Amino acid sequence: MKTIKRYPLFLFTVLVVLALLVSPAIAQDPVTVTIFVGLGTGTSPEQFEPQMALQERFNASHDDLQIEFFIVPHDTSEDQLTTMIAGGNPPDLVGPNGISTIALFLDNWADITPFIEADMFDTSDFYEASLGLNAYAHVNTGLPLGLFPSFIFYNVDIFDAEGVEYPPADFMDTSWTYDALRERAMLLTLDGDGNNATSPDFDPGNIVQWGYDDSWTSAREKIAPWGSDRVGSPTNEDYTVAIANNEHWVRGLQWYSDGIHVDHFIPGVDGIAAYESAGIGTPLDGGLIGMFHSHTWYLTELGFDGIDFDVEIAPVPFNPVGTRVATMHADNFTIPETSQNKEAAWEVMKWLTSPEQIVDVCLIYGCIPARMSVAEEFRAALEANFPDINYDVIFESINYLDDPNHESWTPQWGRMEDAMALAESKVITGENTDAQAVLDEANDTIQALLDEYWASQ
Amino acid sequence: MIDRLLGLSSWSLQRRESAAAYMYISPWIIGFFLFTLVPMAASLYFSFTDYNIIDSPVWVGLKNYVDLLDDASFWQSLKVTLSFAMLALPGTLVFGLFLAILLNQDIPFVKLWRTLYFLPSVLTGVAVVLLWVVIFNPQVGVINNLLKLFGLKGPGWLHDPDWALLSLVIMSLWGVGQTMIIYLAGLQSVPTDMYDAAKVDGANMLRRFRNITLPMMSPVIFYNLIIGLIATFQYFTQAYIASGSVGDEIGGPVRSTLFYNIYLYQSGFKFFEMGYASALAWVLFVIILVLTVLVFKSSPLWVHYEGELRGRS
Repeated sequence: MKTIKRYPLFLFTVLVVLALLVSPAIAQDPVTVTIFVGLGTGTSPEQFEPQMALQERFNASHDDLQIEFFIVPHDTSEDQLTTMIAGGNPPDLVGPNGISTIALFLDNWADITPFIEADMFDTSDFYEASLGLNAYAHVNTGLPLGLFPSFIFYNVDIFDAEGVEYPPADFMDTSWTYDALRERAMLLTLDGDGNNATSPDFDPGNIVQWGYDDSWTSAREKIAPWGSDRVGSPTNEDYTVAIANNEHWVRGLQWYSDGIHVDHFIPGVDGIAAYESAGIGTPLDGGLIGMFHSHTWYLTELGFDGIDFDVEIAPVPFNPVGTRVATMHADNFTIPETSQNKEAAWEVMKWLTSPEQIVDVCLIYGCIPARMSVAEEFRAALEANFPDINYDVIFESINYLDDPNHESWTPQWGRMEDAMALAESKVITGENTDAQAVLDEANDTIQALLDEYWASQ
Repeated sequence: MIDRLLGLSSWSLQRRESAAAYMYISPWIIGFFLFTLVPMAASLYFSFTDYNIIDSPVWVGLKNYVDLLDDASFWQSLKVTLSFAMLALPGTLVFGLFLAILLNQDIPFVKLWRTLYFLPSVLTGVAVVLLWVVIFNPQVGVINNLLKLFGLKGPGWLHDPDWALLSLVIMSLWGVGQTMIIYLAGLQSVPTDMYDAAKVDGANMLRRFRNITLPMMSPVIFYNLIIGLIATFQYFTQAYIASGSVGDEIGGPVRSTLFYNIYLYQSGFKFFEMGYASALAWVLFVIILVLTVLVFKSSPLWVHYEGELRGRS
């Protein structure tokens, strides 16, 4: 009886000893960091293979750490990510994320400040302004990866045909203002009889060519460059007071409204429908737009091979308060707060943004590396793809980025964006062309959202 | 054999038949519980919570329902949906009946015409909406170019807040073939001797329509009304695709196509306010329920069932 009782005890002891012997071996198994791709770029078929190559390169050079790209369709990526996080199965790294995506999920990202401090990680090589794009008072969401500065693309042939002076490429040329842009854009705007928008015979009901377009930007982006102290943010610094109807934003939106409905050099909804029909997908393609405000990512959208006119780029103009703000899009990788492998994810984040990797990573995702030390290397790679572009404009524009950014977080971010989109829609459709009235209304909505948010905290 | 295997052979015939019946319907019952009843119960619970999908729901009582009353987008979405229902539903019912009557005549190639008119309702979904987006394009669309032939300048259609909803109403007539085919089946069951007798009595076409066709068709109209009512309040895909094709604003321009379901989707999946979206869903459920009950209650006044004796069940 005694032997029978002792036998299980002996077996248990043996198993425990075996487990203890084996466990160090298990602990040495490499940690796999899952990288969720889909919220931003990275989902195009041509980006799959380079990402797999990146994965292989990382895995071949690391014994204790492996990465695995988990690429999902962009359209369902938000739902999939929230489901994974809610289900307790979060990825370890998410990206590349734009500023708006990071803002949308802000409460769910881990703060990387402790990792930076623990490693005494040197951030001096990153463009200084880029460090603040995704860092808030309570959370620094990730190291900067890539930047997408904005500037003016212009159709050289249209300028030549109308004998209009090109926008200056010199960043010191203070004559390049929004008024100057308006004047040139009106000269480029033509009706069916060839009259430009400054002519008394001009027929606004029959426009066939527009001088300027900004239709691929959000409401906040259209007015962020106009000189507000809070640049692209509709609230004060502590997010308690709405300032969407500040005088600078009102002036910017009124300039935009007048550009459509009074001066006619910006296409309204009918105009957009016209050039979209004439084009092959993007505003400039159709050859009906003189100047177009967009970001570096538009270089690939435009598809230079498919157009039969010359395109150049120029800086955005100076605003009425004498400053220049080139709105910026930016990408980084973020670590979900609930990730089980945060430290490992931090190591991968460092690797992806390291000087040795960042050029390759940015070539996959189409962004300008956020590290200054690789600017020349990246510029050479870009020139191979898009020759005849003034790259000084691209790199110099980084120094004029909008901070706070036009996609930056506010309480109730989604509803705030919706309120701003409504304001923009009213102006574009002509439902209400008075920028002050439209932004007053948006401001009231945003203030109510802020009050509700703080009351619930 | 199966009875023996399952040990049911000792059961009475009635019990065995009942067991078989339950087994046959069990896939549906299980599916209903898992994919309809449980999610409905869950959404009812969520409607009383603050729930952003990622964090655990926090009980807030009736707050979501109270907040609805102060929400301009909620009222706008209700207004848009009701306006659409008041235009599209009668349009579909009347136009469908009109087509069915036309195609119930003794005309050459009637089967071909019926097929042609029914065909569009087979083609639905995103592709058809995108086709309509092109048709409504103010510059290159077919409609405005036809109007131009007559020297008329067409509206902005989906691009114009004053015309966007009407565009969707016109688009909804695309699926009228479904309603038409049900009417057609109903028309063919109306006894022809009634018309013959009416003709002998000197009833003209209008009178025959009013006194024979309409009463005899009223159960079919009633059916189409109920189905159409529910479908109208669940309108989503067409508006979502069409408004998305003219800008970034969901339900635009200027919220003119912000249907109830679009706002519900926006609240749940764009603003991540799943508790609020659940409250919206339950309010929608109640609205549809009340309207359906009202239509049912009104039916004794206008729906005529053949052989029915008023006042007797």
